[in-house]
Amino acid sequence: MTNPHWQTDVATRRIERRNAAERRFKLLGLGAIVLSLAFLALLLFIMLKNGLGGLDWDFLSGTDSTSPDVAGVWGATKGSLLTMLVTLLLSFPMGVLAAIYLEEFAPKNRWIDLVEVSINNLAAVPSIIFGLLGLAVFINTLDMPRSSPLVGGLTLALMTMPVIVISGRNAIKAVPPSIRDAALAVGASKVQTVFHHVLPLALPGILTGTIIGMARALGETAPLLMIGMRAFVVTPPGGVTDPSSVLPMQIFLWSDEIDTGFVQNTSAAIIVLLVFLLAMNGIAIYLRNKFEVRW
Amino acid sequence: MNETKLTARNVDVFYGPKKAIDNVSIDIDNGIVTAFIGPSGCGKSTFLRSLNRMNDTIADARVTGEILLDGEDIYAASMDPVALRARVGMVFQKPNPFPKTIYENIAYGPRIHGLAENKADMDAVVESALTKAGLWEEVKDRLTDAGTALSGGQQQRLCIARAIAVSPEVILMDEPCSALDPIATAKIEELIDELKENYAIVIVTHSMQQAARVSQRTAFFHLGNLVEYGETSDIFTNPREEKTKDYITGRYG
Amino acid sequence: MILTGVLLAVIGLGLVGWFAARGRARLLYSGRGSMHSMPNYHGWHMALWIIVPALIAWTAWSAIMPGLVDGVVMADPAAASLPADAMHRNAIMAEARTLAANPDAAAFNPEARTIAEPLRAATTRYGLIGALIIGIVAFAGGAFGFTRIRPDFRARTHVERAVLGLLLLASLMAILTTFGIVASLLFEAGMFFKDVSPIAFLTGTHWSPGNAIGTDIDDNFGAVPLFWGTIYIGAIIAMVVAIPLGLMSAIFLTQYASHRVRRWVKPILEILAGIPTVVYGYFAALTVAPIIRDFGATLGMANPSTESALAAGLVMGVMIIPFVSSMADDALAAVPRAMSDGSLALGATKSETIKKVLLPAALPGIVAGVMLAISRAIGETMIVVMAAGAAARLSANPFASMTTVTYQIVQMLTGDQEFNSPKTLSAFALGLVLFIVTLVLNIIALRVVKKFREAYD
Repeated sequence: MTNPHWQTDVATRRIERRNAAERRFKLLGLGAIVLSLAFLALLLFIMLKNGLGGLDWDFLSGTDSTSPDVAGVWGATKGSLLTMLVTLLLSFPMGVLAAIYLEEFAPKNRWIDLVEVSINNLAAVPSIIFGLLGLAVFINTLDMPRSSPLVGGLTLALMTMPVIVISGRNAIKAVPPSIRDAALAVGASKVQTVFHHVLPLALPGILTGTIIGMARALGETAPLLMIGMRAFVVTPPGGVTDPSSVLPMQIFLWSDEIDTGFVQNTSAAIIVLLVFLLAMNGIAIYLRNKFEVRW
Repeated sequence: MNETKLTARNVDVFYGPKKAIDNVSIDIDNGIVTAFIGPSGCGKSTFLRSLNRMNDTIADARVTGEILLDGEDIYAASMDPVALRARVGMVFQKPNPFPKTIYENIAYGPRIHGLAENKADMDAVVESALTKAGLWEEVKDRLTDAGTALSGGQQQRLCIARAIAVSPEVILMDEPCSALDPIATAKIEELIDELKENYAIVIVTHSMQQAARVSQRTAFFHLGNLVEYGETSDIFTNPREEKTKDYITGRYG
Repeated sequence: MILTGVLLAVIGLGLVGWFAARGRARLLYSGRGSMHSMPNYHGWHMALWIIVPALIAWTAWSAIMPGLVDGVVMADPAAASLPADAMHRNAIMAEARTLAANPDAAAFNPEARTIAEPLRAATTRYGLIGALIIGIVAFAGGAFGFTRIRPDFRARTHVERAVLGLLLLASLMAILTTFGIVASLLFEAGMFFKDVSPIAFLTGTHWSPGNAIGTDIDDNFGAVPLFWGTIYIGAIIAMVVAIPLGLMSAIFLTQYASHRVRRWVKPILEILAGIPTVVYGYFAALTVAPIIRDFGATLGMANPSTESALAAGLVMGVMIIPFVSSMADDALAAVPRAMSDGSLALGATKSETIKKVLLPAALPGIVAGVMLAISRAIGETMIVVMAAGAAARLSANPFASMTTVTYQIVQMLTGDQEFNSPKTLSAFALGLVLFIVTLVLNIIALRVVKKFREAYD
């Protein structure tokens, strides 16, 4: 028995119309993705087209100059490496220790709530605000050397730490309670349980989060503008207190040059920066796939 | 005659405002297996966890009354819960080996308690624990394999070996066979029977057949109360309390 | 110099203490139960007693020593010739410090050379005194630690308590950072508001800090054009791009795409979020802005500028797409399957179900995601610095050059002004406004997300 109501012309046409709407909607979604990816492709294409020609050994080993033909990125790269070193040395231990405390030991009280609210909000504070903090505290109050990787690294460490804490907490939370029970039951103390068992198991997740946080810090420009890391530095910095520039800052400075020769330099420096970021994200993905234990 | 190992006097356990165990007093003897039975949610696991202070790890759990190990109050300020748990070991519902090698699973406890002077000592401790748990023959050639790669039954025996390795006096088992198949269960039960010579064993089980098979004494819990406690044969053939009788005849559970 | 050496020596001493205490504890050890704590913990306990008090002494001395040294140098006859002006004098002192560390360094002020010698002598003397004090503290701590090594001493408990203290300290860093941000913004903005009335700042429509001299200062710090530019670029243009594209991407990926497509496309889309903003800024200035300028010219606009709100907003919108998409993704995933099943079972098509059931149910989560996206967009700096321009104007013309709060913060702080001019300080006032607005947006959004999750859990 069929229901005659569904076999009228009107009903058939309506269903066809609805199916067409369905197809249009799906196409719209596909279009949104294609458009976004096309933009990405265009961006990468233009940087490669403009920059690849300028990528050679002289460019990679040279330092900043007023002449586009001799200018290179080694000075800025070294500045970036020193800055990242300071950032990592500070934010990683601090972030991991804070994550351990909040996830494993913290009592439930108003102070701890305040810490949690702080961390969640810090992760969303605009980066330029951290620059203002660095300028007001590290340079104007504590009199640390302006334009130095030390101050840049400190500033970026404060920005990166919340990211590490949040990813660290998630990784620690993912370690099943039965592991803690097992260790406690053979007579390990709480601290031993955490440091002998929970932390090693959470480490791949923490490292993944750390690398992603560091990658973000490596690409950051605005807070470093605030603390004066835009100096024209011809000699690569020898230590963390020397004036220095960083890769994104070098890109910003060159992009402002009138001389069209700097277009190639800027694009080439962007390629260098993107290669670094790509490598870091690749490592993070590798770590996640290789070491993450599924429970 | 067996001497008393653990004594509980008027023990209450609270989770926050909720009373999970109400005024339980019980003596647990050395050299035998004591079974805790009762419908789920009756508090038997809660009470078990208070015997080695595993409840300490739950934020709002609180124990009142007195629990004595060889006459010593385990909740006294002078008692270090860490030292206590080395003396009162525990095996859990689901096998929970560390995601490390078989060898490391066993060696961890002895190492943190300083029970082996050197590598040779440690090897001996590991071998002896695995032998007692009836696992040595099966794993002696692959001690460096991951503990998690063993079958479920083997993993549970590994966890028993891990508990034995720190030479405890009491072993608490919280439904140790509930995640295992019948053959693995039989092996564990056999093992429990052998181990009772040297330890006081307390086993929580939801299977009355298991309690009847492995235990010499049985305690029946209901709604946080200890309803009846006595020789296993008496409990199952001739219970004094109506509630016990209803439970073992399958009226509820 | 001396103090750096002392720091290394303290750490070395701690190491020695660790071995000494562990060795001592091992001698006492006589099998299971003979000691409360393992020998290693006695080692750590001793090392902590050496290092922690010595570190405290080191920090304290590092803080007070420069004052002591300066006092001695100022009292020296050689310092009599120094100018009274504090700023000038500090510059000379800084040079003298460099000279004292490295006699070959260049000096612009001849006075620096004359006081370098007394400065170095004083530094050495106080450095040695400090080393002595720190050494005494370290040895006293170590001696105390050593006497406590006994079988029944609970070294592990003490060490673990110290570890917990360290963990707590690390988590307090977050509060300290928040406090630092709030305090420094409030302090510097307070200085600014001494010169400029807050009402004029928040409601004035004329922004030209360069002209701000004399009595009409209030008239040149009206920040409304900046707020408007920020909202127009970050909350309007960027969102017009990001919301439809991000939302439709999320819908396609979660509802239509096969598992395999999703697994590949999602991470590629995420790359957009990982590209540094300076790269977007450059792309906006180099490629997007000229296209928009030419487009503006074909529309018949006179003198369209290269820098435009549209260029900055468009590129910023693209940058935000993955963010909106992943927030929408989460919101859609949180809607129970039973809800859409109910609609599908009535014979609704997939798109009808999405539009009529899924999206309304996920709306609070999506709205919260958009709020977070806006907070991110208005705090974004490099794209607007490179593509939006410096002109503070109240205009709704997307082809016009327009400035934002973040652009002006950069502008005010990257030049060679003295630090305490109202122009420089205005950056902190703008930062304060930005901080408060993003904070409020975040708090509301996080609360909405939490409520929304609880509703379906």
